[in-house]
Amino acid sequence: MLRYFTRRLLHGLFLVVGVSLLTFFLLQLAPGDFFAEMRLNPQMTAESVAAVRHQYGLDRSVATRYLLWINSVRKGELGFSFAYDSPVACLLWARARNTLILTLSAMLLSWLIAVPVGLGCGARPGGWSDRLCLGATSSLLAIPDLLLALGLLFLAVRTGWFPTGGMVSPGFDDLSGWGKVKDVVSHFCLPVATLVLGTVPVLVRHVRAGVVEVLASPFIRAARAHGITRRRLLARYALRGAAAPLISLLGLGITTLLSGALLVEVVMSWPGVGPLLWEAVLARDLYVVVGAVMCSTLFLVGGNMVADALLFAVDPRIRTE
Amino acid sequence: MTIRRRIYLALGFLGALHASVLLASFFAPYDPEVQDRELPFAPPTRLHFVDERGRFHLRPFIYACASSSMPVAACVEDLTRAFPLRFFVRESSAVEKANLANQGAELGASESKRRHWRLFGVDQPARIFLLGSDGLGRDQFSRLLHGGQVSLLAGMLAAGLALGFGLVLGAVAGFYGGWVDELIMRSVELFLALPWLYLLFAVRAFLPLHLSAVQSFFLLIAVMGVVGWARPARLVRGVVLSARERDYVAAARGFGASDVYLLRRHVLPQAFGVVMTQAGILIPQFILAEVALSYLGLGVAEPVPSLGNLLAELQQYHVMASYWWMFLPGAALIPVFASYYALANALQERAGVVPT
Amino acid sequence: MTTKNATGTKFEGGHEGRPYVSRFSMTTTALQVRALSKTFVQRRMLSRKSIGITALRGVELALQLGCALGLVGESGSGKSTLGRCMALLERPDSGEIWLDGQNLLSLKSSELRRARRSIQIIFQDPARALNPRFSAVELVAEPLEILRWDTYEARRRRALDLMEEVGLSRQWGNRLALEFSGGQRQRLAIARALAVEPRILVLDEALSALDPPLQVQIMNLLVDLQVLHGFSYVLISHDLRLIWRAVDEVAVMHQGTIVERGKVRDVFAAPGHTATQMLLELC
Repeated sequence: MLRYFTRRLLHGLFLVVGVSLLTFFLLQLAPGDFFAEMRLNPQMTAESVAAVRHQYGLDRSVATRYLLWINSVRKGELGFSFAYDSPVACLLWARARNTLILTLSAMLLSWLIAVPVGLGCGARPGGWSDRLCLGATSSLLAIPDLLLALGLLFLAVRTGWFPTGGMVSPGFDDLSGWGKVKDVVSHFCLPVATLVLGTVPVLVRHVRAGVVEVLASPFIRAARAHGITRRRLLARYALRGAAAPLISLLGLGITTLLSGALLVEVVMSWPGVGPLLWEAVLARDLYVVVGAVMCSTLFLVGGNMVADALLFAVDPRIRTE
Repeated sequence: MTIRRRIYLALGFLGALHASVLLASFFAPYDPEVQDRELPFAPPTRLHFVDERGRFHLRPFIYACASSSMPVAACVEDLTRAFPLRFFVRESSAVEKANLANQGAELGASESKRRHWRLFGVDQPARIFLLGSDGLGRDQFSRLLHGGQVSLLAGMLAAGLALGFGLVLGAVAGFYGGWVDELIMRSVELFLALPWLYLLFAVRAFLPLHLSAVQSFFLLIAVMGVVGWARPARLVRGVVLSARERDYVAAARGFGASDVYLLRRHVLPQAFGVVMTQAGILIPQFILAEVALSYLGLGVAEPVPSLGNLLAELQQYHVMASYWWMFLPGAALIPVFASYYALANALQERAGVVPT
Repeated sequence: MTTKNATGTKFEGGHEGRPYVSRFSMTTTALQVRALSKTFVQRRMLSRKSIGITALRGVELALQLGCALGLVGESGSGKSTLGRCMALLERPDSGEIWLDGQNLLSLKSSELRRARRSIQIIFQDPARALNPRFSAVELVAEPLEILRWDTYEARRRRALDLMEEVGLSRQWGNRLALEFSGGQRQRLAIARALAVEPRILVLDEALSALDPPLQVQIMNLLVDLQVLHGFSYVLISHDLRLIWRAVDEVAVMHQGTIVERGKVRDVFAAPGHTATQMLLELC
């Protein structure tokens, strides 16, 4: 078993390194860089632009820059942001924290809603509740995230029940401790709602499919013949049988913890990794882009490994590998 | 409803949607670039059947907006003159030409092309804004149709590109095995290890930011195609691997068949089913990607409309607060996605995979 | 005629069940296998261990023109591997296969492709051996198509002729393979193999998946076809009763080598090797 995990770990490491190389070199191909705009400024002479570029090491070769960047990663800085004039790591850390607040809450809420609903729908396949379920999920799935976000924002603007963007209100610092919490919560209702509305249909469908499949298997019929009540059947047997695909779904949910909320964050002006990446792309702030992509890759690879590990623990059939 | 009927229904609906979008120049009363600075953010024009004197007209008519009421959103109708809705118009008039001249030489050159048939229209100087107008007075309905053309086409072309790459690389990897397979599979894993929207961003980041509309369109398609090849490649490889081991392939080899023959006759037809199912999933994904990228300013550039950059105006607070019709391009996406998902589900069911 | 073998099992029906006596001189060799060896290696990723399964150890076999040879042995004795090597589906690690004065294993790929026609194989499971989406005519004509023989029409006609020869109606030509029963599909497979006029036909457990009455039918068909076309065939089977009825000679394999060879009657009546004895006991 240890060998299985070491293999996975090495594999994950290979992926992370590979991705860092891929992104880094892809981005280096970009014509122009952050300081290209500067050159257009008639007040800046060519020499000063060159000097600034030299200061930031942009005139070195690509390979050298990569090695320097690796060094910076080792130091914990993850490169340097030109736009913000600070190491990338500090920026990312704060933004990632904000994003995670959003996505973790959304994930929790989605699962809390989806599992019972999926169970309920799957319990009577073909019944009216099931048809309602399928209809509702299909309709929700057809609405793109962007539209959901814009729609909810519109609601906020019209009704004024929720703040229309950002994470904190002006005057945040003056609030009491509890007041601060309430403020943040009121701001994150809408983004979380959007994320939840986007994920719940998918989850419900998966749960339902798993439950339907398990309920159709012979051992359930045997249990029924033994006189086990339907409710007990659902809770104890069906769910456990459907657990394996759900576990991997959970792992997959982890993969998008950092990256899945990009559109929502941008629309709702939530200060997460998404808007940071967007600005950096527009401004050609190279190391921020690399850093953000690397971080989300870490989550992705990590999430896959977690999914594998959980599956390993839950499904005894894999252990014989 | 049987699976086959569902597929046909979905395909039919999609066909109708695409046809209406392809014939955008006919269905749209105006060209998408035509501006009317006098009528920014006009709400959707109301069609009347009963005039102020209470008479019923079979042919609907509209009133022009009194220009003094702009830029406040409410359009105060000028009841002095009714403009009936004309069908099958051939437009071009002095006012039209004047407007074109205002927009510069770029558009004036193809003036003659503008004289074509349109399904409906109204006489000048009234304007019929079925879905309202945007900040520059451009008809949102026309822009939606043309933008739909761009977005749907982009999605399809990008999906075609991704599937093409995926098919070729997956088939090569599965059929030849060995180091070629290893190489391709490791690349697939790398590409799949990046969250795709972020990868899209990253790849877009390294390309020139300020491009002409046409260039940006093709660039977008190329980027999405390059990013999306990984998952189809893996699926095709699986199919090819299992097909390769079949006894009938061994038998054909026993008759002296070349690799090309085997691929063409036995292996690739199996992959076809997978490719079709993937198409049903990828096309909406790519349409969505285009919309997202254009919304963020990284996709199709102005003045070419796309459903994404039509929605971009909503980034301004006052637009979102006051002008609800600016949401409609997004709403147009819903039936598109619904049909594609229904199609993908039905195709998956037919292939024996349980759709979720 | 009834024969009793060493352990007392009776084989009924004797050799009158096989009316055909080879019209070729029994000493002309069609195919000669020399010192064939093959080991299958399984290597696990990231581990230094590798497991090797030796399927063939220096096998020597001579197949005469027009003869019918049975190849028997317990599971894992290598008979299927030998059959596949003879049909050039597997590449042995060492050894030679001589046909028409050429060592097939030393040929270049283009010459090899031509030589492949002479040896054809019929698999055990006809469902897997025939592409289910092909029609009957397409299946039977496939080898001709690969070899680009004649025109499309001529190929079709020849395919339909072959179908008739194996006992299938011409009118079923456009039916898809999956619409045929197992026995019919096996007939299609035989028709397909005959399309290239092979000299040697290897039947790898080809009758094992069929019901006994079908087995007899197909077996009779095979014997008749051999009279018509004059090929030699190798029947690999674990069913000794079938072997008794279907072949002249039998070769017994055990752990990768041929331990006994001779006329069926003689071998079954008086088995020389313990392996043969064990096989007969289980019968």
